[in-house]
Amino acid sequence: MTHFVVGLFGDPESALSAAGSIQSADLGTPELMSPVPIEGVEEVLGEKRSVIKRFSLFGAIFGGVSGFLLAAITAVLYAHPVGGRPIITFPPYLIITYELTILFGIIFTVIGFFVSARLPNGLWTSFWKQDENRPYVPEAAVDKFAVSIGCGVDDVQRAETILRAAGAEAIRDGTEGVS
Amino acid sequence: MQGDPNPLKYTDIHNDVVASIVETGSNYYVALATALALTLICFFFPWFYQLYYGIGAAGMNHPGVWGTYLASFIFWIGLSHSGTLLSCVLHITNSSWRKAMYRSAEAMTLFSLVVAAMMVMVHVGRPWFIHWTLPYPNQMEMWPNFRSPLLFDVMAITTYITGSTVFIYMGSIPDFAAVRDRTRGWRNTMYSLLSLGWRGTDREWHRLHWAYTFLAVLIIPLAVSVHSIVSWDFAMSIVPALHQTIFAPYFVVGAIYSGTAGIVTVMFVLRKFMDFGEYITELHFDNLGKLLLVLSLLWSYINIVEIFTGFYSGASGETEALRYRLFGFYAPLYWEMITFCAVLPLLCAFKRFRTSFVPMLYLSIAINIGMYTERFLIVATSLSRQYLPDAWGLYVPSAVEISILVGTLALFTTLFLLFVKIFPSVSMYEVKETMDTPKKIPAAASGGSLA
Repeated sequence: MTHFVVGLFGDPESALSAAGSIQSADLGTPELMSPVPIEGVEEVLGEKRSVIKRFSLFGAIFGGVSGFLLAAITAVLYAHPVGGRPIITFPPYLIITYELTILFGIIFTVIGFFVSARLPNGLWTSFWKQDENRPYVPEAAVDKFAVSIGCGVDDVQRAETILRAAGAEAIRDGTEGVS
Repeated sequence: MQGDPNPLKYTDIHNDVVASIVETGSNYYVALATALALTLICFFFPWFYQLYYGIGAAGMNHPGVWGTYLASFIFWIGLSHSGTLLSCVLHITNSSWRKAMYRSAEAMTLFSLVVAAMMVMVHVGRPWFIHWTLPYPNQMEMWPNFRSPLLFDVMAITTYITGSTVFIYMGSIPDFAAVRDRTRGWRNTMYSLLSLGWRGTDREWHRLHWAYTFLAVLIIPLAVSVHSIVSWDFAMSIVPALHQTIFAPYFVVGAIYSGTAGIVTVMFVLRKFMDFGEYITELHFDNLGKLLLVLSLLWSYINIVEIFTGFYSGASGETEALRYRLFGFYAPLYWEMITFCAVLPLLCAFKRFRTSFVPMLYLSIAINIGMYTERFLIVATSLSRQYLPDAWGLYVPSAVEISILVGTLALFTTLFLLFVKIFPSVSMYEVKETMDTPKKIPAAASGGSLA
């Protein structure tokens, strides 16, 4: 069973330092929780990559193709000749293409965000069931910076020592689930 | 906020914003009840009256077949422009002064779009057939005509409403989570659902940053396209004074102009009545005032160009339409528009004026009165003076139309009052980013276990 140890810090520098020490001690990659994005996380925990841009690109291409096909196919299905102009007319259909490119780009960006940020998670359903073993400290939404590490029972003491040495104001057992 | 002698702490902004949601005074309920009552009396009752007796209840008739409904539609679409657009531009350029005000500005965008969509419903006369504008298989085997600027409108506004909704929601997720932890009962349930289980992890912040930036990049060209397309509703016709290439930039600049003025109004209200004086400061009014000055000069330039090219063309229809606008039946409205939108905003050249809250409020209201007038003149004067004198005529709005115009303001106010009690009106986490970062405490004071 994985045990979660959570250290609470009053400032981001100490939290980052603790996260670096945890990683150096081969206890795994810690998770930082904070009320604001912390600068310098990637320097300590390594570069983060997300698939969001791929979702955006796919959505935009899908939307653009769909938009043009929508305008073109419906024009063919209900032909409405005007002044000898072609049934499939590019200038107006490019506007539909443009709008749907953006619409689906937006929709797929949101989907990409949910997928890569792993939202919604168990905390979302916490008002009817607490089924997710994800440590959470409400103070981290206000003014505290938390470092959480999942480790085996043998490493709990070592993790607590590292967090205290880095200046943790408090240590919590995150294994109980949603705080 | 950095460098202040008594800097705000993270807990201050947290407590202030949560209090703005959960602590509600009697004045709020009075304001909400008044706005709701006005919405029913001025907007919905006249609309139902029109539905019952027919579109003839409105003052629209040949040649003035477009009236205040369409003018209101353009006005509200225009007002929607600055919120999300300005927020996106300032986000990409990393302007920190955006952070205290953007949430409310984006809400203004969203509710303006809702009101604009309602005006389309009112204008079409038989809103129960509005789904005919959508492409879906039907037994008549008919499809919408995607060559029509009206269909461009449907697609653009649908996309813009979707984009604006997503943008304001995504930016609010961390704040929903923060409010979730401080509420009980139905509010806790609501914020638990809205926050999607946000925990503020480094992974979530990283993903939010990228998704939010991508959305901003997608929405900026979208916002420009929306009002360009609204302008093409008019410019693609062959009516004198409407069939002009400058209409797209004219509409876009006008939209950003009226939207920025709308933000000033909303910021004043939030500062005065929601106790956000510490977060919405002189700096915001100063910067918005500079923006208004630039936009008013751009708007004036386009108006001069419009007059000059119309006059220089020498085409009889064009010059008659111009003469009628400047000196005809609607001329007092035209000169009121020039005074409110081109002359008064020059006061923004003075810093003392820009940093005075009440004068800026009056100016912002005057600008939006002028901008509504502009939209009315575009619709009314153009159709009143087309090529042939036997097609000339006057359009004067009926009592139903005027009432619905007033009702749109009440509808917008109602939606905004509901917003301030559901959404954190000021972005907590972004304002925190502008504050001094908490500093490391001495080692002797640290340690201990609460587990």
